[in-house]
Amino acid sequence: MVEFNLPANSVVKEGKTFSAPADAKNVRAFKIYRFDPDSGDNPRTDTYDIDLDKCGPMVLDALIKIKNEIDATLTFRRSCREGICGSCAMNIDGRNTLACLKPIDDIKGEVKIYPLPHMPVVKDLVPDLSQPYAQLASIEPWLKADSPNPPDGERLQSREERAKLDGLWECILCFSCSTACPSYWWNSDRYLGPAVLLQAYRWLADSRDEYTGERLDALEDPFRLYRCHTIMNCTNTCPKGLNPALAITEIKKMIAERRA
Amino acid sequence: MSESYKIIDHNYDVVVMGAGGAGLRATLGTVEAGLKTACITKVFPTRSHTVAAQGGIGASLGNMSEDHWQWHMYDTVKGSDWLGDQDAIEYMCRNAVPAVHELEHYGMPFSRTEDGKIYQRPFGGHTRDHGKAPVERACAAADRTGHAMLHTLYQQCLKHKAEFFVEYIALDLIMDDDGSCKGLMAWDLDTGELHRFNAKMVILASGGYGRAFFSCTSAHTCTGDGHGMVARAGLGLQDMEFVQFHPTGIYGSGCLITEGARGEGGYLTNSEGERFMERYAPTVKDLASRDVVSRGMAQEIRDGRGVGEHGEYIHLHLEHLGSEVLWERLPGITETAKIFAGVDATKEPIPVLPTVHYNMGGIPTNYKGEVLRPTAKDPNAIVPGLMAAGEAACVSVHGANRLGTNSLLDLVVFGRACGMHAAEVVDAKASFKELKATDGEEAVERFDRLRWAKGSRPTADIRLEMQRVMQGNCGVFRTSEILKEGKDKLSETAKTLPDVGVSDRSLIWNSDLVETLELENLMTCAAATMNSAEARHESRGAHAHEDHPKRDDETWMKHTIATVDTEKGYGVDLTYRPVNNFTLTDEVSYIEPKERVY
Amino acid sequence: MKMQSDLGRVRGLGSAKSGSSHWWTQRVTAAANLPLGIWFIVSILAGHTADYDAVQAWLGSYFHSTMMILMIVSVAVHFTHGLQVVIEDYVHNRKVEMISLMLIKAVAAFLSVAAIISVLRIVFAGA
Repeated sequence: MVEFNLPANSVVKEGKTFSAPADAKNVRAFKIYRFDPDSGDNPRTDTYDIDLDKCGPMVLDALIKIKNEIDATLTFRRSCREGICGSCAMNIDGRNTLACLKPIDDIKGEVKIYPLPHMPVVKDLVPDLSQPYAQLASIEPWLKADSPNPPDGERLQSREERAKLDGLWECILCFSCSTACPSYWWNSDRYLGPAVLLQAYRWLADSRDEYTGERLDALEDPFRLYRCHTIMNCTNTCPKGLNPALAITEIKKMIAERRA
Repeated sequence: MSESYKIIDHNYDVVVMGAGGAGLRATLGTVEAGLKTACITKVFPTRSHTVAAQGGIGASLGNMSEDHWQWHMYDTVKGSDWLGDQDAIEYMCRNAVPAVHELEHYGMPFSRTEDGKIYQRPFGGHTRDHGKAPVERACAAADRTGHAMLHTLYQQCLKHKAEFFVEYIALDLIMDDDGSCKGLMAWDLDTGELHRFNAKMVILASGGYGRAFFSCTSAHTCTGDGHGMVARAGLGLQDMEFVQFHPTGIYGSGCLITEGARGEGGYLTNSEGERFMERYAPTVKDLASRDVVSRGMAQEIRDGRGVGEHGEYIHLHLEHLGSEVLWERLPGITETAKIFAGVDATKEPIPVLPTVHYNMGGIPTNYKGEVLRPTAKDPNAIVPGLMAAGEAACVSVHGANRLGTNSLLDLVVFGRACGMHAAEVVDAKASFKELKATDGEEAVERFDRLRWAKGSRPTADIRLEMQRVMQGNCGVFRTSEILKEGKDKLSETAKTLPDVGVSDRSLIWNSDLVETLELENLMTCAAATMNSAEARHESRGAHAHEDHPKRDDETWMKHTIATVDTEKGYGVDLTYRPVNNFTLTDEVSYIEPKERVY
Repeated sequence: MKMQSDLGRVRGLGSAKSGSSHWWTQRVTAAANLPLGIWFIVSILAGHTADYDAVQAWLGSYFHSTMMILMIVSVAVHFTHGLQVVIEDYVHNRKVEMISLMLIKAVAAFLSVAAIISVLRIVFAGA
């Protein structure tokens, strides 16, 4: 059966509290999930009181401030800090998003930060994403065509054909959507999840690709594709404003269309 | 050492360090050539900083109007302020067109023209017929070209079943006694294990070091790791004084607003609402080369014509383009402006400031990608077994100033060149050099020393001090006094490195230790940059020296080679090597230096 | 201990190359259940099920008995398809899953056939 409760060694305990300097006026508490793989201890939540007057506007700024000034052991992924690399996806205030794009002011009260849900945790806010990465590879996300490339030029594509890719190719593979999807939580071993299905549709929608049929064959599976129950958490949470649920529906429509 | 480490050995024909545009293209090339290749990267490939490139990739496709690779070459040479090596520039511009077509054949989602070809937009410094007017040369995928390119290259690597070692931190090169490179050491963050890669060829594609500065458009991961490794192997770094300031970083956050915004018709104004670039570059105005525009902006701010309460920034106007054009061609930056400047770009101007963006300098290579170890006798001597490409390398195609769109081009052209050259010189059937038990030991010692470092200064503390010195003393405008002061201050900061304190002792995902290893690399880059800049008594491209405002071809038409003593206090030894004043073929002749006006 | 590669694990047994007919049938029966359901509720409200005689008169009509059998089939199919998804979602023990699936199908088949026979008995009892 699906487990609805955390196993004993995953139950989150209350951790340490780091108070703000006495002269701080605009203090906000950041309650952050911590997991130390070396200790074997249960995960805990540490609380850091931050002076927002001396902190950048985004949640990532606060995380970096904590790491730089309060607790260098706090571990999280980050890179571009402008919402294009997809490194700092995490669960902030109950919602999966990118820490670099999430203004602290959008959150009322205590800022709760957890790793992306339902993924194995390597350390603190760093989840193990090897499953979705392998799923991405499994859909063969590259252009497949048998018509030879023009020798001295590009394959032609009309603006209308190219416009079909908008809203698909911009995905940054942060997996906020997949890890927000209950269906993915229960069946991530067999269901591809919204992020990977969006990528799958990106190639189905590309007028230059000549393997639509084979791609649809590979997707037509009760689990890989049809575990999507249109819950819409994916579209709701996407920090880039994309619509994976729509892409999945388009795939289902394509498969329905080719039936007798 | 306080602990003995289990080390896992590997043998690979080629080890590529870095999985950005250059690393992936090189990996793709060597895998296609049948070489057993390992691509080791500290972030998952699609998180590399190439992903943040916006405006386009330069190639004279001529899809929108007449264009020729020779014009592209002229613009690049002029943009480089004649410091670029013209053989390499010819190689790049000539190969630009097939390189872009290749990307398209890989499936890259370029924007399109009415007749279904790759869409191109004008960009700073790119002109028709030797400077007559701006030309559409930047091949674009909306304003997310780097994202499109990086993902496409990763997809191709998946297609060719390339082998990745993701979230591995490269520690150091393993050098042979004969001066050749025979592999590298790396640390797997996930398991905490150390790995020793024995390789017939190492290709460094580790990116730039923007994070040596306080405010930059670069990602947190741009820490000059390849530079640091090369310097610790006793090799020199080239032209490190040339640091590009991008004219339009968002005021405050430093996030990038592409030059393509001006390519599409955007323009800059000062506090009087004047389009001041008309004064600095009468012909191409806002589309002058980046160094020119950045200096123009800095000059306006200095003269008290900056915008804002304290006159500290400049306005970038896009609102006249209309929201339809903005959402179609510049959706990314319209969003970025909203998030990071709180500005609706369809209605109001964006506050911008010149921001550190790109390092023209780096690991010296020739146009094939081979790393150079210049000597007085042979300025083009190579290091066998070692190549470099991308922002980490200094080929040098960008000279003293890079043109927008030429970095993405540099990545694919020289990433590909590395792959081709490796395929030529590496024999997959040959047996591997036997590694000695002591090979890689120094890297492990360094790793262990920093892991247990108990000093009084946290990593972030030293890093911040270094960044402030670089920002304050190695900026857009430089003087002898400022640079001298910077050199002294930086040296003081570097001296505190042995007093660094690390608080995380773990081997698994110890990001405190990662940042400390990175700090040593950054310090190497900072020292090379500051010292090289202090020594160059002229103004050329991005190096604007107020005490020496003119370019001095007589004395300074040469590449700086900085050798950093990473063992003791980060002292820098400077030598020089001549600029290649020849082209690759007879189809184009050497472009003689002349005054640079836009 | 699991040492299989990520890709091997993800590819698993490959695509079943089915699922669309399940998905499609579920949507078709959902659409069918709407008018059938309205018809049924209206019939109840109209008093056709007040007592056995009323029912007999009601189902004696070709139209209403056909509608009734259609509804039984449609609801049964929709019910089994829906429950199948729920079981596949939440029951991860393969044996329990198979047995549950067979069980709901058997129960649904039994109940729907029984219901259809009941309708037919009513229809033919009046004939």
